[in-house]
Amino acid sequence: MRLDVAQLDLSIRRRSLLWYAGGLSLYTLIVVAIYPALKNSASLDSIATTDPTAAALFGITGSITSPVGWLNANIYANFFPLVMLFLTVGYGAAAMAGQDEDGTLCLVAVLPLRRRAIALQKAGVMLLQASVLAAGVAALVIVGRSFDVDVPASTVISVSVAVALMGVDLGLVAMAVGARTGKRGTAIGVGSAIAAVSYLISSLAPVASWIKPARYVSLFYWSVGNDQLAKGVRPADWGVLIVVGLCAAYAVIIAFRYLDLR
Amino acid sequence: MTVAIETIGLTKTYGATRAVADLDLEVERGEVFGFLGPNGAGKTTTIRMLLALQRPTAGRARILGLDPIGHDVEIHRRVGYLPGDLELFPRMTGQHHLDRFARARGNVDGTLVADLVDRFQVVLDRPIRELSKGNRQKIGLVMALMHEPELLVLDEPTSGLDPLMQDAFEELVREAAAAGRTVFLSSHELDEVQRLAHRVAIIRAGNLVATDSVEDLRRGTPLKVEIRFRGPVDPAAFASLAGVVVSGADGESVSLEVTGEIGPALEAIAARDPVDLVSRHADLDELFKGYYRGSVGPEAIDAP
Repeated sequence: MRLDVAQLDLSIRRRSLLWYAGGLSLYTLIVVAIYPALKNSASLDSIATTDPTAAALFGITGSITSPVGWLNANIYANFFPLVMLFLTVGYGAAAMAGQDEDGTLCLVAVLPLRRRAIALQKAGVMLLQASVLAAGVAALVIVGRSFDVDVPASTVISVSVAVALMGVDLGLVAMAVGARTGKRGTAIGVGSAIAAVSYLISSLAPVASWIKPARYVSLFYWSVGNDQLAKGVRPADWGVLIVVGLCAAYAVIIAFRYLDLR
Repeated sequence: MTVAIETIGLTKTYGATRAVADLDLEVERGEVFGFLGPNGAGKTTTIRMLLALQRPTAGRARILGLDPIGHDVEIHRRVGYLPGDLELFPRMTGQHHLDRFARARGNVDGTLVADLVDRFQVVLDRPIRELSKGNRQKIGLVMALMHEPELLVLDEPTSGLDPLMQDAFEELVREAAAAGRTVFLSSHELDEVQRLAHRVAIIRAGNLVATDSVEDLRRGTPLKVEIRFRGPVDPAAFASLAGVVVSGADGESVSLEVTGEIGPALEAIAARDPVDLVSRHADLDELFKGYYRGSVGPEAIDAP
């Protein structure tokens, strides 16, 4: 299959991807580099223990000063997924609805390609962008082991991939909404709202018993919210993240097939 | 197969709005077909349905013998399309566009692209956002023509082009028609359509109101006759004639619109010592406006 649509979108997104990846990688490097200076700070740990609910809102559970706690509190439970979602939901909304609103999607749609192929190439571009972001974070966290952030490399890589998959899942939801409605704003709104609710459910589930049963509907729970950085990503986590992604990709294909282009 | 485009009862509605209603159209292969109508008449929606960019609410279309629904890939391979409101990727250069889309099509002759670039004097080395509308339009034209399509669907193709480039475009359309290709030309430029099109269709509020050759459409309109007499005349003498309407009178000059036989009007004119007479059928511009004012109505519809 020719990948011209993917190359076209990648060339358009290249600059923003570099900024996202560069910025997040720099942030990650700073976080791991300052860990040795704070790993014995008792006052820092007391933040999580004195007000666990407020800490949970930031995705913090348990000790902040352990390597896993430090990475969760500063990268994996909040900032990394947030940047990932900015990238994937943003691209998901732009790739279909945004380009349709701009009037450029019809240039691609009149190429001798099936709409399914166009949709799949765009989904592939999203996966690639998420992978670049995750690779940058994973690489620098692994480098961070020389700064005493001692977490197994395999765990770092698998959790980073899980976050990437979560971002792709929600990005594809935004893409499907965009392909269904042709409206970029709606696509961003729905994708972001689902991500926000997903984050809140997963974050508050450990401290709010009435939310706990709902944690299974949160993609955060299946990627970083169930202590994956300490215990590894389980087969069920992979299963949920992959099945949701495949369902969302199928929704994109069906919605795009029936989209009336401008 | 001699038909390039055929639509039967093609209809598109958006909610309660009917953009295109029961459109029956037939475009022969090898002809240049003008598709006329003001903004919002349904021209672009029709084109989008022909190219499978939108799905009809009812009716059907066949392009080069294929149904757009289910054969969009084959149709897109054989059709060149220039959108009405052409939008390109603002940060990419013209060269980047041509390279990327030529590769995606896969059957593009680089020599032809170079020839088109040369003919239209396309600016290739600057980002699209820095180009004028005319220069962007030239890139769109090259993209529509680069794969030597059997059918060209051009929506307002000369919008933004300077007169020299409009001439180059017209020459290209004539060459395409001479090579047996079909050109479906949606335009506001009535002079251009009049010069290029073998036949035209006029669409109004989503409905087809006329389809015929420009000459035949003109023949169906009243003959405009302007006469100057040696002395003042009473226009009432002409108003009483069958098929004659006095459209203007100013002392020694009278303007008439004659439908049907000219003989009685000529006899009446000759009896009043005329010194000058000019007659002509309406041009496409007047014809077009006539359809929109309603002075030439849907009852004049000719079967395609």
